[in-house]
Amino acid sequence: MSDTKTVQIPLGSQHIALLEPVAFTFQTQNERIIAVDADVGFVHRGVERACASTFTFDQVATVVARVCGLCAITHSTSYVLAVEELLGVSMTPRIAYLRMLMVELDRIHSHMLCLAHTAENAGFEALFMQIMHEREIVMRLQESITGNRVQFDYVTIGGVNRDIDAMVAAHVDSELSRLREKIEHLYGLFDTNITLSRRYQGIGVLSLEDAMKLNALGPIARASGLAIDVRSQTSTFPYHEVGYAIQTHTAGDIDARNRVRLAEIFNSIEMSQNIVRNIPEGEIIQKVRGKPNGQAIVRIEAPRGEIFYLVRGSGNKILDRVRIKTPTFSTIPAMIRTFEGSMYADAPAILASFDPCMSCTAK
Amino acid sequence: MKWFRQWAQKSPWILHYNAGSCNGCDIEILAALGPDYDLERFGVLNRGNPKQSDIFLVTGPVTYRSRERLVELYTQIPEPKVVVAMGACTATGGVFRGMYNVEDGIDTYIPVDVYIPGCAPSPQLLIDGMAKALEIWVQKSRDIEKPHRLFGGIRKTLHYLDRRTMAQTLAQSKEKEPQ
Ligand code: SF4
Repeated sequence: MSDTKTVQIPLGSQHIALLEPVAFTFQTQNERIIAVDADVGFVHRGVERACASTFTFDQVATVVARVCGLCAITHSTSYVLAVEELLGVSMTPRIAYLRMLMVELDRIHSHMLCLAHTAENAGFEALFMQIMHEREIVMRLQESITGNRVQFDYVTIGGVNRDIDAMVAAHVDSELSRLREKIEHLYGLFDTNITLSRRYQGIGVLSLEDAMKLNALGPIARASGLAIDVRSQTSTFPYHEVGYAIQTHTAGDIDARNRVRLAEIFNSIEMSQNIVRNIPEGEIIQKVRGKPNGQAIVRIEAPRGEIFYLVRGSGNKILDRVRIKTPTFSTIPAMIRTFEGSMYADAPAILASFDPCMSCTAK
Repeated sequence: MKWFRQWAQKSPWILHYNAGSCNGCDIEILAALGPDYDLERFGVLNRGNPKQSDIFLVTGPVTYRSRERLVELYTQIPEPKVVVAMGACTATGGVFRGMYNVEDGIDTYIPVDVYIPGCAPSPQLLIDGMAKALEIWVQKSRDIEKPHRLFGGIRKTLHYLDRRTMAQTLAQSKEKEPQ
């Protein structure tokens, strides 16, 4: 009997597998998803509007950090870089290194959270706990460098807020070595554990053509074999000096995404260690004068892909426009494409592997 | 019911709802549930079902679209319930205060028992707030049982409430009470 009844299954806006409110409506036929509708606007707050009406330009860095708690540092760094470009300031090597260090540490903890979440959604609670335990190493490092665990308003216009001394640098170095051993163990687990491989291999495949056509970004695109990374395309930060290497995979399934994330964690650990070992001397803050006049565009690689800032000012204290384009926003078409044709039972795991950040998307 | 109460008091389940937060608070909740801070040692488990939950843990400044869900979830949680507002923006709107799509804190919609300050609050603070919430929760469960205790416990005759005996016990206990 060819019964092709279509069943509608809603997921969200409040659901245990979701960290954030987002509502999906799946059209399924015999457990197979044939169409998806995503509603992402639950957390829209109106940050862009407020940045161009309520707050003065030197306050905005704090506000845009609250667009997203996971990549707060990338948001404030991008904004500050845009304003510094308008004010005609360029970073000294020490400032660039310190900012780069925080961006990389942020990437490590964000990727680890995503891996933990993927493990939890696959029903692997013990692994979730293990990864969360190891993630604390990075959180403590962030606290020791900036003074706060999550919303560290570390970057200001002209420089950074805190310096690191030799003791903290040595501490960061040794803790990161400890973390690398743990991640190596984790990599072995993702490599050999039969539960994980059964659950992840060949599930949620995004092909290279789709990734290209639908404008996927970040680790998702790199897992499908699309070698895009803002870190290698721009020269805002001296990434080539600290041993940056692009990480790609070809399979495009959940397993590939996990592996790309793990490889990027390794790379980020290596870069952070190189940064704290060879940090140049200098001041951590520069004198800045004037008001932003003109238009500047900045792109930075956030943990989830390219983040894009457009800042336009006309010599006033209050800016004319702040436009934020976040990676998850661009990845939604690819995510919907991946859902189509996969089983409904895999939906939470696929969703977690895309690591969506709705608060970035809706702003 | 005494033997049952011992357990009921010890394992409150939380319902976490993100009412437009920046995720900073949410990842701190996850960190607190992880092994390093181990919120679970208080019996606190994160369950996505409002009907099984006791503590309503809200993050975010309440956006225009999430306010209906917030109230809906709040009404679905059975009594006694405790509402914990995590983070500066849940308490007052924080950095988002005055933005056009933000309702400036959750106490415009539902009553709050514990406010946890900070942006983002550290897991230690969250644990502190949870311990406070547990106290309030125990108190609230006692208060719910108060009418029963006033009547000196429930008396039943053949499956029916024996109101007469209960009223008599009440009168006797009042006589005994030293004024
Ligand atoms: S209190 Fe701060 S960290 Fe927490 S959700 Fe609000 S803005 Fe984010």
